[in-house]
Amino acid sequence: MSDIPLPLDQSALRIQELAYGLKVRDVMTRKIFAVTRTCTMSDVQTIMKNNGISGVPVVDEAHVVGIISMNDIMNAFVDGHMDDPVGRHMVPDVQTLSDEVPLTFAMSAFSKYSFRRFPVVNQKNELVGIITPRNINLALIRELSRQLDELEDNSGQADRSGEQPVFHRIYRLTRYDFEHAGKASAELKKELKARGIPPKVVRRAAIASYELEINIVAHSHGGTFAVLIDDKRVRITANDFGPGIPDVDAAMTEGFSTANDWIRSQGFGAGMGLPNAKRVSDEFEIQSGVEMGTMVKAIVYLEQERVNEDQ
Amino acid sequence: MNLKQIVETLDASELYAPDGWEALELEDVFASDLISDILVSEGEDQLLLTSLTSPQVVRTAALVGAIAIILVHRRQTPEALAAAARQQNLPMFRSAITKFDACIRLGKLMEQK
Repeated sequence: MSDIPLPLDQSALRIQELAYGLKVRDVMTRKIFAVTRTCTMSDVQTIMKNNGISGVPVVDEAHVVGIISMNDIMNAFVDGHMDDPVGRHMVPDVQTLSDEVPLTFAMSAFSKYSFRRFPVVNQKNELVGIITPRNINLALIRELSRQLDELEDNSGQADRSGEQPVFHRIYRLTRYDFEHAGKASAELKKELKARGIPPKVVRRAAIASYELEINIVAHSHGGTFAVLIDDKRVRITANDFGPGIPDVDAAMTEGFSTANDWIRSQGFGAGMGLPNAKRVSDEFEIQSGVEMGTMVKAIVYLEQERVNEDQ
Repeated sequence: MNLKQIVETLDASELYAPDGWEALELEDVFASDLISDILVSEGEDQLLLTSLTSPQVVRTAALVGAIAIILVHRRQTPEALAAAARQQNLPMFRSAITKFDACIRLGKLMEQK
């Protein structure tokens, strides 16, 4: 039985990666207790008590219009307002989370706001679930144990003939650390060359990787950067802890840049980073939440010739 | 053209010159001060001409497989730069002439060929 092939510092980063791999919809509670504006505070208190929950969203035709927490119930109780409709006491302007965002966005939201739960909405802005820190903890533990099982299952068959071992490395990147930025891409290039991948493909993967690596260092509060190479593709995932991109379409436009003078003096900030990375990738995906973080995934196929060979 | 001819043409001085650098053959030149542009430059076996002096220049040049780097319009350069070049085993020189002048001189050199 071979050792689990993870250096210690890598295992901590892997847990972080787990959170990026999961989406809010994978971990949220789908069984929701919601009320309409006309229910009374007393109704809500009964729902909370019977179901052991401490917060209930208020909806209007599936759209979240407010939330009632245990605290609101206590205030209503003290002031003798338990028979009032909830519309009068709910907290309006609720911060919701999209069901499609990475779990890390939810983790950032919990650390930014003091809320203990977030209603989760779908693309139509309809309430589809609720997420609490408990959901997150359980999901991470479940995912971690699933991955451990997988590692154990695979440890006996590492020498499948003809197949190269999977290369998977995760790096932590620090804001403005231009001294180290680019090292992950250099390692990626070296690994691909050693595997005999065609130089054009190596170059495209290196460009995507480098642009995304620099983006984290130049524009984010820091984050993680993961490279995975298997028989068919290179997958690069760049995840950061914020501040997030307010307008992703603008950021994907050539020449659009928010870089400051110092970053520009380093030769960056021409507004070509994300467009370049997308152009050289076969698959490209970006998600961003303001104050929550940005996740970019770029995939470059190793063997297949590109249909659109413009690079 | 080989690297020795280029270095002489640009009156460049050595920052890092591994054994055998003189004979290195270069097919093309790419002149830019923007990392993103350097990254997507498509030439093979090329010389990078730049006035950028951050160590990222070396890393970028290595990523795109440049053969050598010449820093132009520079009399002084950070020491970290030469160290980075040594680490990547990428020949690096420095010239005081401007990038524009350097391009003209190299253009003439390429015409003679």
